[in-house]
Amino acid sequence: MFQDLLGGFGVVLQPINLLILTSAVLIGFVGGALPGISGVILVVILLPVTYSMEPTGAFMLLTAIYASSVFSGLITAILYRAPGTPEAVMTAIDGYPMTQRGEAGKALGIGILSSAVGGMFGTIVLVVATPFLADMALRFSSPEFFALAVLGLTVVASLGGNLLLGLIGVCIGLMVASVGIDPLTGTIRFTFGSLHLMGGVNLIPVIIGLFAISEVLKRCQEGDVHLAAKSFKIKILDWPVIRQIRTTIIRSSILGTAIGILPGIGASTAAMVSYSETVRWSKDRSRFGKGAPEGIAAPEAANNAAAMGALVPLFALGIPGSGTTAVILGAFIVHGLTPGPTFMAGNSDLIYAVFVGLLLVNVMILVFSKPFIAVLSKVLDVPYSVLGPIIVICCVVGTYSVQNSMMDVWLMLGFGVAGFLLEKIGFPLVAIILGVVLGPIAESELRRSLALSQGDPSIFVTRPISAILLLIAVALVAGTIVAPILRRRRARFGGGA
Amino acid sequence: MHNSIRKLVVGPVMAAMALAAPALAQDSDFQPEKMTAFVAAGAGGGTDNFTRTIQPMLEERLNTKITVINLPSASGVLAHQRTANSKPDGTSLDFASSTFITSRAAGQNPVGLDKLTPVARMQSDVMMLVVNPEKHETLEDFMAYARENGDKVVIGGTHAASVDRMAFLGLNEQSGLNLNYIPYDNEGSAAASLLGGNVDGMMNEISAIQGYMESGEMKPILAFAAERLEAYPDIPTTVENGWDLTFGNERGVFINAETDPAIISAIEAAFKDIFDSEEYQTYAKRSNLDVRPGWLGSDDYRAALEKDLAFFEKLMEDM
Repeated sequence: MFQDLLGGFGVVLQPINLLILTSAVLIGFVGGALPGISGVILVVILLPVTYSMEPTGAFMLLTAIYASSVFSGLITAILYRAPGTPEAVMTAIDGYPMTQRGEAGKALGIGILSSAVGGMFGTIVLVVATPFLADMALRFSSPEFFALAVLGLTVVASLGGNLLLGLIGVCIGLMVASVGIDPLTGTIRFTFGSLHLMGGVNLIPVIIGLFAISEVLKRCQEGDVHLAAKSFKIKILDWPVIRQIRTTIIRSSILGTAIGILPGIGASTAAMVSYSETVRWSKDRSRFGKGAPEGIAAPEAANNAAAMGALVPLFALGIPGSGTTAVILGAFIVHGLTPGPTFMAGNSDLIYAVFVGLLLVNVMILVFSKPFIAVLSKVLDVPYSVLGPIIVICCVVGTYSVQNSMMDVWLMLGFGVAGFLLEKIGFPLVAIILGVVLGPIAESELRRSLALSQGDPSIFVTRPISAILLLIAVALVAGTIVAPILRRRRARFGGGA
Repeated sequence: MHNSIRKLVVGPVMAAMALAAPALAQDSDFQPEKMTAFVAAGAGGGTDNFTRTIQPMLEERLNTKITVINLPSASGVLAHQRTANSKPDGTSLDFASSTFITSRAAGQNPVGLDKLTPVARMQSDVMMLVVNPEKHETLEDFMAYARENGDKVVIGGTHAASVDRMAFLGLNEQSGLNLNYIPYDNEGSAAASLLGGNVDGMMNEISAIQGYMESGEMKPILAFAAERLEAYPDIPTTVENGWDLTFGNERGVFINAETDPAIISAIEAAFKDIFDSEEYQTYAKRSNLDVRPGWLGSDDYRAALEKDLAFFEKLMEDM
């Protein structure tokens, strides 16, 4: 393997390939930072360009864009609460409050470091353990996916704030997610005769509306002309902060990689589960949602790790772990290559070059992100009366470009107004996103599981992995409900003793 | 700076167009300035690759510029609708797969063959019943197992209103078995379930499972074809078992039904020329899409689709 890795370095360090990698990172940065332009879209746009390239260069380009676009979604999430990619939604929860507190530089530094560490961890696992882990991933079937989605939904209990509002939010999200064609029977649900709604409500308009547009509306109302952080300095290696977040980064990198490997579960889910785990392991839960460094480190380490983890089943089994890897699979096929069990052995030159390329990309993220953000942040000096409309325009164009659909734009604006109003009553908006992202997974996997077991619900507890995941979920919810009661009781009785 | 970029890009393009134009002008009278290709599927999938491979070849033959727009939502219904509502001047094409007809049979697609005219079929993949060789070795093994445990046998496939599902329903109906079908959101998840041993079989096209066949992790035991495939003479067919089921995913091109027949013929001729070209055949071979001859002209394609639709509608009704 070391021989192969050295060979990979030899290939990657050729000037043309270094040029490819560098430009891929920059393209990924720009795409990831623009709301609505996600890694999938970038890879698709560049796909025809790669047809004429030789396979090694082509796949270094595509995977590098993929990796760097997952990273750069955090920039606008932290600075403007406009997540550049769906994976960065959780990052906005603690990142934006830090910006408002004037700590944008610190928040970005944490995000960059966590992303790079998570990405590198994921890549190393990818290099070392691909064949072994791919077999593990196959043990996950519908019952386990259902259990994982339920575990993800319990994040709502750790979000803090009003639990009842959180639960209502999840239900709203689940309702939104149930619009469209029923995934199992093909029946049309809640579309009110609209062809545009038949495909369901896309995630991007919901996220951009609820987070970005509602924030612009709020600031319009407040008459706020400048962002709190007018100028900032990014500090990536900030030792006191690193001491504070290192366990979070390690835990989230492991979780993220593990979740990313599972076919069909993407980096967004990984970010959500890691965030909830971090809150649970934390001593002081009340800091989360108000600008806790761990709240940025957890989702960013996890989503970058998961992005790399998603390549494991792609290379070893030919099964894509996420949307973008599905497109990369298509690209392999166009190049006459078939990822799958025999792929690794037959194409080790190509694979190790891609692996080394990905390691390098994560280093480049550390190096290039600072100057890139410095350029981007010049925008912050622009008064909000100018910046606000620019954000809205980017959101409209980005949303339209996802499916070439004006309906999505109207939906996005509708969710924007809804988000603005809901936030006025202290509603946790992210609960809605949880429902929209995890609802479809939970629903269809629940029904698939029951189809597999001929309607016998014991399938969820007789399979060990799903039983453990569900147990953790139940314990988490029970703990959130019981803990305050116990505390009150202790205060009452303990005070008297 | 803007000017220099424009010169850089526009210059060679114009030059190339000027060179190419006279040579191709005789090929066809139909040479619109620009065209739109609606893709009834998401970016990166088989239908998208198909469209984007054809795009430059068609641009060259019709001396035009084509914009590709993906409209994957709702099984591609929006792509069919946009094409049906477009100006009937031949400049809007709908690149679609068999989902066009299966979603119509399932009542999801309001745009039928009265609003869209088939121009050409370019690909015809072969549907397979695929099993995990650790569980079943041959079709006989599988059938014996299925007759015994019929209602416990689960077959995976992609989507609920797909050609996978139609093939499954057809198999159940004609073989008298009572198997179960679980629709997955994408081919990958269905394949993972089969590899992990969670389902007993999977419906999939031959082009999609090459890698697994080579490694011996999947085995196709039934081809939905009239005759044994030249490349895979060991796989038994439906027809030799007495089941009249011959389909697979097909990919073709549709146009607004009100378009002038002369224009449709011109476009059909351009597609035929593409289909016969070495460039296209290389692509088809590389993507394993050449197992069964793909070409059908406008009239034949319509007849085939009408037959399929009637059959699929009956299957959905009987269910």
